[in-house]
Amino acid sequence: MKHCLIVDDSRVVRTVAGRIVKDLSFSVSEAADGAQALEHCRKEMPDAILLDWNMPVMNGLDFLRALRREENGSNPIVVFCTNENDSEHIGEAIRAGANEYIMKPFDADIIESKFAEVGLV
Amino acid sequence: MQESTFNELSDLALRLSGQHIAASKAYLLEARLSTISRRENLATLDDLVHCLKARPNPRFEQEVAAALSSKKTSFFEERDLIEKTVTQALPERLKHSKTGRLRVWCAGVSTGQEAWSLAIRLSEEMGSTLARAEIEIVGTDLSTDCIETAKQGIYGHFDVQKGLSIHRLMTNFNRRDNGDWVINEPLHKNVSFRRHNLLDSARDLGAFDIILCCNVLGALAPSAQRQAVETLSAQLLPDAYLFAAPDEALEGISSVIKPSRTLRGAFERDTTIKKTAAA
Repeated sequence: MKHCLIVDDSRVVRTVAGRIVKDLSFSVSEAADGAQALEHCRKEMPDAILLDWNMPVMNGLDFLRALRREENGSNPIVVFCTNENDSEHIGEAIRAGANEYIMKPFDADIIESKFAEVGLV
Repeated sequence: MQESTFNELSDLALRLSGQHIAASKAYLLEARLSTISRRENLATLDDLVHCLKARPNPRFEQEVAAALSSKKTSFFEERDLIEKTVTQALPERLKHSKTGRLRVWCAGVSTGQEAWSLAIRLSEEMGSTLARAEIEIVGTDLSTDCIETAKQGIYGHFDVQKGLSIHRLMTNFNRRDNGDWVINEPLHKNVSFRRHNLLDSARDLGAFDIILCCNVLGALAPSAQRQAVETLSAQLLPDAYLFAAPDEALEGISSVIKPSRTLRGAFERDTTIKKTAAA
C-alpha cells in the first residue's frame, strides 16, 4: 500500500483529504506544518505528499525546497493543494519541484484526477 | 412527479433526440430540467409538462429534450482514444491525403471538452508529421447551451482540474478575474462548434477523416442508435475512421459500418452494401 502524507494546518482539510486519499487505497499520515512534515519525511519518506502553501512555522514552498535537498527527497510525488490559485504561485511551485497542483476548493474527483496525472493511481 | 409526467418527458426525449430514459433514472429529470423550470417559473415537472401540452412550441420542446441529455464530460475523458487518434488514426489518414487537410468530427461533444482536449493534444505534436497537416475539428451537440459554452471555451475551477495536468492548464488556458479559465486564442483557430441532432442528416457538416462519438450512443434507444450510426457513417470519407468510447460496442448496431481493416478498434463505412444493391 502506498503512503501519503497530508500537510495542512486545517484539521478539517486534513480529515477530508485523508478520507479521499484512503479511498484511493493509500495509507495516510498527517502534519500540521512544513516543519512537522520534514521531520516525518526524515523518519519515513512517503510515496506522495498533498501539500498546503500557507502554514505557520514553515510554509509549503519552503518545505518543498528543503525536502528536495534531503536524501531520497526527490522520490515523493508532491501535489500542492492550496488557495493560491494564480499563475505566479503555480509557476513558483512547479519550479520548486511540485509534480502537480490542486486549487482549493477540491473534491474527490479532483484529487483522483490529479493523482492519476502523476501516476499515483 | 406523476407517472404520466415521466412518460410524457421520456416520450419527448425519445421522439426528439432518441434518448432512452429508464424509469429507474426518473430522479435525474428534476435536476436536468431545473434551470428551465426556474426560468419559466414552473414549480414542478407536472407543471412543465402541462405547459408543453398547453402551448405547443417546437423550439421549447427541443430545448427540453436537449436538457434531458447527460452533460457529464471532462477533459481527456477518453485519453487513450485521443492518443490513438493523434498517434495512429490521423497519421494514417495523412499518408493518403493529397491536400494535407484533415477533418475530425466530435459528435455529441456536450460542453466541448473532448474537442478542446484533441486540439490541446495536437498542439503538442510540433515535431511530428502532423505538424505539417491542417487539421480541422468540428464539435456538435444537441444542446444549444452546451454549444455556446463549448464555443466560448470558458470553464470553471472544478472543470479544469479534472483530466488536465497543471502543465496543460497553464500552457493552454488563461485565468480570468472571476476564477474561470479560458482556452487560449490560438487553439480556437481550427476548432468550431455547431448544434446538430444525430437523428438528422449531417450532410451540411461535410465529410470527415475521423469521427469520434463517445459516450453518446449508449444513452439512445436501439432504433436511434442505428439512425445515429447511419448519420455518422454517411459523413465518413472512404476508409475514414469512426470511433466510440472503448466500452461502447459499435458492432451490430447497423450494417452500414464494419470494423476497420487498417486500425484496430475503429470502424469504417461498409461500401460493399451500396455496390451490392447497385449490382
